[in-house]
Amino acid sequence: MDNASYAWDFGSLVPYLPLIWRGLGVTLAFTVSTVLVGLVLGLITGVLRNPTMTRWVSVPLQIWTEIFRCTPLLVQLVWAYYALPVLIGVDMSATTACFLALSFYAGAFYSEIFRGGIEAVDRGQWEAGRAIGMRRGKIFRRIILPQAFPLMIPSLINQTIMQLKNTSLVSAVAVGDLLYQGSVITGASYRPLEVYTTIAVIYFAVLFPLTLIATRVERRLGASK
Amino acid sequence: MPTTQTSSSAPILQATGIHKSFGDHHVLKGVSLAVQPGEVVTLIGASGSGKSTFLRCMNLLEMPEDGQLEVSGHRFAFTGGARPPKDEKLAGLRANIGMVFQHFNLFPHMTVLQNIIEGSVQVQGKSVDEAKALAMTLLGKVGLAEKAQQHPARLSGGQKQRVAIARALAMQPAVMLFDEPTSALDPELVGEVLSVIRELAAEGMTMVLVTHEMAFAANVSDRIGFMRDGVMAEIGPAEAIMNRPQDAKLVSFLERFHQAKQG
Repeated sequence: MDNASYAWDFGSLVPYLPLIWRGLGVTLAFTVSTVLVGLVLGLITGVLRNPTMTRWVSVPLQIWTEIFRCTPLLVQLVWAYYALPVLIGVDMSATTACFLALSFYAGAFYSEIFRGGIEAVDRGQWEAGRAIGMRRGKIFRRIILPQAFPLMIPSLINQTIMQLKNTSLVSAVAVGDLLYQGSVITGASYRPLEVYTTIAVIYFAVLFPLTLIATRVERRLGASK
Repeated sequence: MPTTQTSSSAPILQATGIHKSFGDHHVLKGVSLAVQPGEVVTLIGASGSGKSTFLRCMNLLEMPEDGQLEVSGHRFAFTGGARPPKDEKLAGLRANIGMVFQHFNLFPHMTVLQNIIEGSVQVQGKSVDEAKALAMTLLGKVGLAEKAQQHPARLSGGQKQRVAIARALAMQPAVMLFDEPTSALDPELVGEVLSVIRELAAEGMTMVLVTHEMAFAANVSDRIGFMRDGVMAEIGPAEAIMNRPQDAKLVSFLERFHQAKQG
């Protein structure tokens, strides 16, 4: 086939639009839910790994975090779907397995961001808080976190963008996200170019505004320094 | 200048036999110091002699491995391997001690005024209005009342350090500790900070200072302690230490200063 003369026909996809929207809905639902759960997990584990914490807490949490950071997400998804149910003896839908894997994966990366942001605050700030008689929790809430949070925001937005893209991996275990619907439509329409181009454009259309917001926030934070 | 010699009243701060190591490095080898109310004691010595570490042991920012510490009724005893004191007990001690750091350590996300009232409100539980009134008085005293609403980033180093002093004073501490308060300042900004400290001394504030400003130390201190290799090698009235030093290392330490003064 001569590439230059390929006759694009996006019109042939119109009947499949409902499938595409359904796929996008699944993608967004996975993104929003696992980002929220991931943020909570990341905040808790990231905060618990702060420099004043005992090793008995911080080391196990670090190991837990590294397991999720140092194995491919695709492997985690497949493992959660095929291996985890056998291991714990609980039947698990592909959706549940994906939700768990994606949440813990996001949690591990968010945890690193929270921990890094907290550690980036000058040690002298802890000392200044202690010197005026503040207790640990109060120093953390009133002195450290307000300074750490602005440092974290660009990385948090970045990680969230990656999380949306990462949800496309759930198609590997037949969860009906945007990419999975794309493969279904391709099978029915024999129009892979149109289908996958459309899918790519949709991902871009959702994520590009987010990156613009990220740049804006970054600039505003930089300016207030 | 106050000239309280070692009076017979009870010391307001008493550190006895303080030991501290960082890894294999034995930084403090049984250092003791008793400070009387209203007294100004300056610690001098080469870098690495342990003077800053000793000062930081006085409000337990560093935890001694051995020794006793008592500051206005707050008593701590340390023995090898014992658990560190509870956070609550440490906070109680520190609320009574003002500390001024070399690098100011102001809270950058707060205004000058918020920096100063933070301890009064959050630790002592004062009302914001009461804390603000006290803070403005203190800011006036360090000559920065017009900077109350600024953020620390907008201040010069000397101004930052004066705010840091006001922040420490806002706790109405029994003792003030100064850890090289002018070492991070441009030379032309040192004077404004030293004059604030001198004023405090004149008002009778009990203070322990670590400084390399020898002329200032000689001038403001009741007593000067010379630290060398983790021990208090010599301590006595400022005039005697400056003019009739006994310890050989102190003699050569001061020679450099005397030469600089003449040259």
